[in-house]
Amino acid sequence: MKMTPALLVIGGLMVFWASVTVAVFLPHATLNDQPSDIWKPMSEPDVAAGHKLYVRNGCSYCHSQYVRVLDWDVGSERIAEKGDYYGYEPAILGTERTGPDLSQEGGEHPDDWQLAHFVNPRITRPVSLMPAWEFLGPTEIRQLNAYVQFLGGKDADVRVARQQRWKPPAIAAWLAGPAKNVEWLHAQVPKVWQAMPNPYPATEPDLLRGQKIYQQECINCHGPVGDGQTVAANYMQPPPLNFTILRGHLVEGKYIGGIFYYQIMNGITGTAMPYFKRDLESEKIWDVSNYLAVRFLGYTDATIEPRGIPASYEPEWKNTFVAPTTQEAK
Amino acid sequence: MLAFTKKTNSAALAFLGGGAFWFAIGATYGLFSAIDLVAPDFFQNIAVFVFGRVRPTHVNTVIYGFITSMLIGCAMYMVPALLKTRLWSERLGWVSFVLWNASVLSGPIGFPMGYTQGREYAEYLWAFDVTLMLALLALIVNIVMTIAHRRENSLYVSVWYFVGTAIWISAVYPLGNVMWHPSTGAMPGLLDSIYLWFYGHNLVGLLLTPLAVGAAYFVVPRITKTPLFSHTLSLVGFWALVVLYTHIGGHHLLQAPIPNWLKTISVVDSLMMFIPVGAVLANIWLTARGKTSLLWKDPAGRLVLFGTLFYLVTCIQGPVQSLPSVQRLTHFNNWVIGHAHIAVLGFSGFVALGAMWHVLPDVCGKKIWSQRLVSLQFGLVMIGIVGFFVVLTVAGLIQGGSWYNGETVYRSLPLITPYMVMRALLGLFIIASAWVGLVNFIMTLRHGQPHISTPIEEAPS
Repeated sequence: MKMTPALLVIGGLMVFWASVTVAVFLPHATLNDQPSDIWKPMSEPDVAAGHKLYVRNGCSYCHSQYVRVLDWDVGSERIAEKGDYYGYEPAILGTERTGPDLSQEGGEHPDDWQLAHFVNPRITRPVSLMPAWEFLGPTEIRQLNAYVQFLGGKDADVRVARQQRWKPPAIAAWLAGPAKNVEWLHAQVPKVWQAMPNPYPATEPDLLRGQKIYQQECINCHGPVGDGQTVAANYMQPPPLNFTILRGHLVEGKYIGGIFYYQIMNGITGTAMPYFKRDLESEKIWDVSNYLAVRFLGYTDATIEPRGIPASYEPEWKNTFVAPTTQEAK
Repeated sequence: MLAFTKKTNSAALAFLGGGAFWFAIGATYGLFSAIDLVAPDFFQNIAVFVFGRVRPTHVNTVIYGFITSMLIGCAMYMVPALLKTRLWSERLGWVSFVLWNASVLSGPIGFPMGYTQGREYAEYLWAFDVTLMLALLALIVNIVMTIAHRRENSLYVSVWYFVGTAIWISAVYPLGNVMWHPSTGAMPGLLDSIYLWFYGHNLVGLLLTPLAVGAAYFVVPRITKTPLFSHTLSLVGFWALVVLYTHIGGHHLLQAPIPNWLKTISVVDSLMMFIPVGAVLANIWLTARGKTSLLWKDPAGRLVLFGTLFYLVTCIQGPVQSLPSVQRLTHFNNWVIGHAHIAVLGFSGFVALGAMWHVLPDVCGKKIWSQRLVSLQFGLVMIGIVGFFVVLTVAGLIQGGSWYNGETVYRSLPLITPYMVMRALLGLFIIASAWVGLVNFIMTLRHGQPHISTPIEEAPS
């Protein structure tokens, strides 16, 4: 076969366009794009503006927008469908996850958490690699937030409504003063969890593990001494809890471990406190609970009654912490 | 007026110089990106250094500014040389150069300020899509007219690849950039991802690869003073490339909700890429068989030789990672970044640099100012790219493995910290190699000894 200019150009173009027909035009003709059950139009101006900002600022180089069957992280309650992207231009799917997938981010966090996180992600997420976006100014951050809260369509609406449902009572409780606030927070934990001690010993290794988790997940909101007096407090309504006051608010004068566990696992929707059930598995949450209790309350309910058969690994450990009397705590 | 634009090979020289310059700029932007991933508050609140803005600057500058420019420069010299004629119009070549660089320049100027269309690899704004297309069309006219005025009847394989690249990419580019939607440069809905990854993958497949293969087909027989091993293998490699590469963009979307038949085609054709890659590498290496010492001794040949080796690595890794079972661990993480670097810098970047140093004396009429600096450039970029590939592959497997086993993205970030630090440090080697190359290029033009160019003796079919 001798390559002549005619063969090269005409043959090259014929093969190329045949391939384009298969790889591009055929999908184009047959994709049959229809809105999915959760799809919503990008009709609000702030959402549309936020979408443009998301595209312009290259958010998609670190955040994908489709959840896969094998995912465990944010949004993995729903696998992406083609109709989720109907009419969005561009529907920016992304190729990298230096940050989490955002296709179901709407309503994961309330607006105040998102605002602080855009100003500087380290305010809420200490080891995040995301840039600080404070330079965009309040208007553009508001628009980005509107877009992020939109992500997930009608599923996001459910979550956003839940955040909005619980924000006013959380603020009201905080405004009622520390004692009333803690009382309200405790009351939101199911009864069976309230009178539950931490089942695991607060050994030194256990506390060190708890400390490491605290530094990676909690420290920038609740602070190095657990008093909640942090930069994050400037952004959040209600502000992060001061753990030290809990010493005077133990359930039945002795329990706090179960409440810690439940609130870390589940978060407190409506407040900036996120759930950590995806980030931390059971043992880590118990370790953090012991760390909070020992470091910031000077007391832990670890291994007190009621308890079942100790786990096989448990060393000989005696809880020598004495529950504070109500008088002493105050 | 502008008499220098009429000088023989002046347009080729301009493209080569542009490539050397943009390598330095593009690699430097890579460092900014790498720093952002080590210390995200290093450039806190300096808008132009935000990761989402410097990454596209790095990527586009390297692809369009460095490698494509440099290889177009090589092609503008090689095509006339192989056809025993001159470039049809130096002035039209300069028109291409100016338009092309207007597009490339719009990256470092526009992206850091947020002027971008934001689709990966298709970021240039519509106006600069237009200048880039005009540059391509001017190149096509120039090459076609050069062929029409040729004094050598048969077309050597390098010419096929250069012509093929020009006609294919001038269709891939407007399709992938959805140029009929000027404001967004995108199709609505999920369909856009199919357009985008048809384009994104063919940017490697029908732009960088054929340009680099064409250049390697020129350099290797010339340095080893051996005719090309096989005409048949050349044909197989060329036609299989355009048949197969065009179908495989879907492998970027295997885990997205695109049609299954499209995923199947993309995986099957990805695996079949062994055919064109094998044919090309067998042809080039069998040509050099027994004479690789000639390639090794010449720093330019060494760059091309290692470029072909990295082509093999890329094209073993690429088909393997197109398999759905492998992608469960490799998708969305730094594994892919490692693959992209070995493909773009390791393969086409090495070949572009080698081919550039090989043709530069013939293009500018001066000997390379310092062969030692070319060797130094080779050494620096070797350390950089091999290190990058290892570090990013490991980091990617750590990310992929931890996600697959139930960790969140956030929890996996501390795991990759040491690799992100190593990547930034290894990047310094690549940047150093780019600046060493730029200095050597400038010094060659200013202080190089005169060089009497040798005409191409024969154009093997």
